[in-house]
Amino acid sequence: MLSRVANSLYWMSRYMERCDGILRLLRVNYAYSQDEFDKFSWRPVLMIFTDMLPITIEKTKYEGRKVLEFMVTDKLNKNSVFSLVNKSRENARSVQDNVTKELWQCLNDYYHVTRNKDLVTALKVEDPISVLDDLVQQGMHYYGICEITMARGEGYYFMNIGKYLERAMQSVDILNVKFSELGYSLEERSDPTYWKYLLLSISGYEIFLKSYRSALDSRNILHQIVWNEHFPRSIIYSVKRLKQSFETLKTDRNSEAYKAISFMIGKLESHIRYSDLKDLEEKGLKEYLHDIKQELLAIGSAFNHYYFAFN
Amino acid sequence: MGSSAIFNNYTSGNEFYDEMYNGSSIRAPYKKLYEFLKNYPAEELNKKEEMARRLFMSQGVTFTVYSGDEGIEKIFPFDVVPRIITAEEWNYIESGIKQRLKALNLFLNDIYSNQFIIKDKIIPIDMIYSCEHYLREMHNLKVPHDIFVHISGIDIIRDADGTFYVLEDNLRTPSGVSYMLENREITKRIFPDLLPQNSVRPVTNYPQLLYKSLAALSPRHNSNPNIVMLTPGIYNSAYFEHSTLARLMGIELVEGRDLVVDNHRVFMKTTEGLQRVDVIYRRVDDEYLDPLVFNSGSMLGVAGLMSAYRRGHVAIVNAPGNGVADDKAIYIYVPDMIKYYLNEEPILKNVPTYKMEDVSERKYVFEHIENMVIKKTNASGGYGMIIGNSATENEIEEYKKQVVLDPRSFIAQPIISLSAAPCYINGKLQPRRIDLRPFAIFGPSGIEIVPGGLTRVALKEGSLVVNSSQGGGSKDTWVLNS
Repeated sequence: MLSRVANSLYWMSRYMERCDGILRLLRVNYAYSQDEFDKFSWRPVLMIFTDMLPITIEKTKYEGRKVLEFMVTDKLNKNSVFSLVNKSRENARSVQDNVTKELWQCLNDYYHVTRNKDLVTALKVEDPISVLDDLVQQGMHYYGICEITMARGEGYYFMNIGKYLERAMQSVDILNVKFSELGYSLEERSDPTYWKYLLLSISGYEIFLKSYRSALDSRNILHQIVWNEHFPRSIIYSVKRLKQSFETLKTDRNSEAYKAISFMIGKLESHIRYSDLKDLEEKGLKEYLHDIKQELLAIGSAFNHYYFAFN
Repeated sequence: MGSSAIFNNYTSGNEFYDEMYNGSSIRAPYKKLYEFLKNYPAEELNKKEEMARRLFMSQGVTFTVYSGDEGIEKIFPFDVVPRIITAEEWNYIESGIKQRLKALNLFLNDIYSNQFIIKDKIIPIDMIYSCEHYLREMHNLKVPHDIFVHISGIDIIRDADGTFYVLEDNLRTPSGVSYMLENREITKRIFPDLLPQNSVRPVTNYPQLLYKSLAALSPRHNSNPNIVMLTPGIYNSAYFEHSTLARLMGIELVEGRDLVVDNHRVFMKTTEGLQRVDVIYRRVDDEYLDPLVFNSGSMLGVAGLMSAYRRGHVAIVNAPGNGVADDKAIYIYVPDMIKYYLNEEPILKNVPTYKMEDVSERKYVFEHIENMVIKKTNASGGYGMIIGNSATENEIEEYKKQVVLDPRSFIAQPIISLSAAPCYINGKLQPRRIDLRPFAIFGPSGIEIVPGGLTRVALKEGSLVVNSSQGGGSKDTWVLNS
């Protein structure tokens, strides 16, 4: 497969995953802001998911609707849903002969939805949760079509690599958003409502209740999002799936590249698997999350280097 | 009764050749189609038209128009009524094009080597050296099998008396062949069984013919040469055609950044390392092909490509430098070329053309401007031209000034009243002007032309400009078997 084609499929998939993550994050934070109208600040979200200037963040942090508009429909925001869907579609368009017709049409439809002027109005005056839910649905449609129609070849596995790498990063970032506010302390008592919304938005509330049967305690939340292998948005799950997809790429012709990346993924997996809450408390949550994010980024660069023929 | 309603009020004028009507009677090859359409209710035809539009849209048969930073997807308008060419007409066109291509190819071989045609004073030397598409870099470069013009789309028109003329030789990167293929597919869907009833010759094997001819050019003698299609990328207006042809031939669609030259050999970058490339069907213009040789700022080409080509390690289709043969001023000399190289009389006629460099010809043109079209020699797509009977006084004066400043860049032709064919517009059949672009493939074993082509239509009433960029559409083109 052409390196450029692999690269485009990988990014098409990463952008869609990021888009899904951002929509869910917006949903939980908006829902929560309705309970906490007094003191809810969008600062952590804006800090971590946008490149907004600090001075603008200070001005915007209490303006929920403005934040939504900026993060969903703003054309200049590189990480807005509008921009992400557009970039995903552009990638698909340049490799149209390598994706199924259904997949292309689905991305094309999503693209037209995000360009519809009604979306801007709806975000301003209607119930944002319904609007965000509709967009999440579009994304679900995309996931279904990938699973059902794409041939299990190199292209499909590069899409999965992009998806799970991005998802692992999203999960790290989602933890960062809330824990940065708590000073990365596990002792700090935080509001269980937020955790509940967080879990609901990433479809993790039920599995949480079944797995932990206890109060919405920060430690359990952390455990679920980092180590719970049954939870499809956990970091360990994402890394495991990343590894599985990557292993299908092994051939005789690229053993050097394969070895290098295989080592990095294996190391990351062990790093997560063989650490626990105790290590984490000793080392500090902030550093722990930072290290994992750095390793994920390094894996991304290694793909650029070895498979996508950059530099 | 709503029968034959769609033919009501069809007026075929006297000032042009009507493809379907001869006065008030139907021409023989159109009789079956007429019988079929005559009783066709307008509502049904509207449905067919809508169906065609939907098929094009859902298959993404679109071109992109950019305004600001947003691209808008448009479909190339398709007219449901086919254009018919008889077997006899086709034989004439086909032999004319073959003759012309042979001469043009000999001309390119000559002009980039011995230049006998200049030495024998058939074409003045400054005509060649003043052409901006003439490439010194191609001099004494041995192209595979002596073929420059692998793929061409020669534009043919019909004057008021029905005579065929060549309007333009497109020998660089002509496009439109995907529309020829798509239009036929659409006709199969909207008018089931009509094609066999009329014994229309098929066009579907174009991609296979093209593949065979590309494979024959491979410099390595292996059974499975690596052929790629080089596209400028998704922002090119013909991107749909590039991806369609690549898919239909089962070859890789690449961009310049996918290729790299090492030790004068071309490779493509794949996830499993570098893979040697043997043949490049490029849809990138000459000047962007190789930043080391041509435009150094080009991001679309491949550094070192020309050196690999010069050494015969890769075949490039079409050969660079063909622009000197389809220049609108060189066009004037094509009938002379045919006589000079082939010792034959030209089968297809040229449209009479005036050199603006020649003072007396220029004077004549300016005096008869209301019957003239003046064109830029290096422009295409219906841009940069002025039609004497529809431009304003001011426009003409401005244009004349440009011509006087740089006469080599302009030619003039009498306004040809293009032939017209019935088109289904707003529920009625109405005559609209058309041209024809057949697609020829020149391979090591000879020239092949699929029986058909792209018939372009000027959809605006009275308009003579058929280019898609100027509001043109297209029709399915039937070549009859007998």
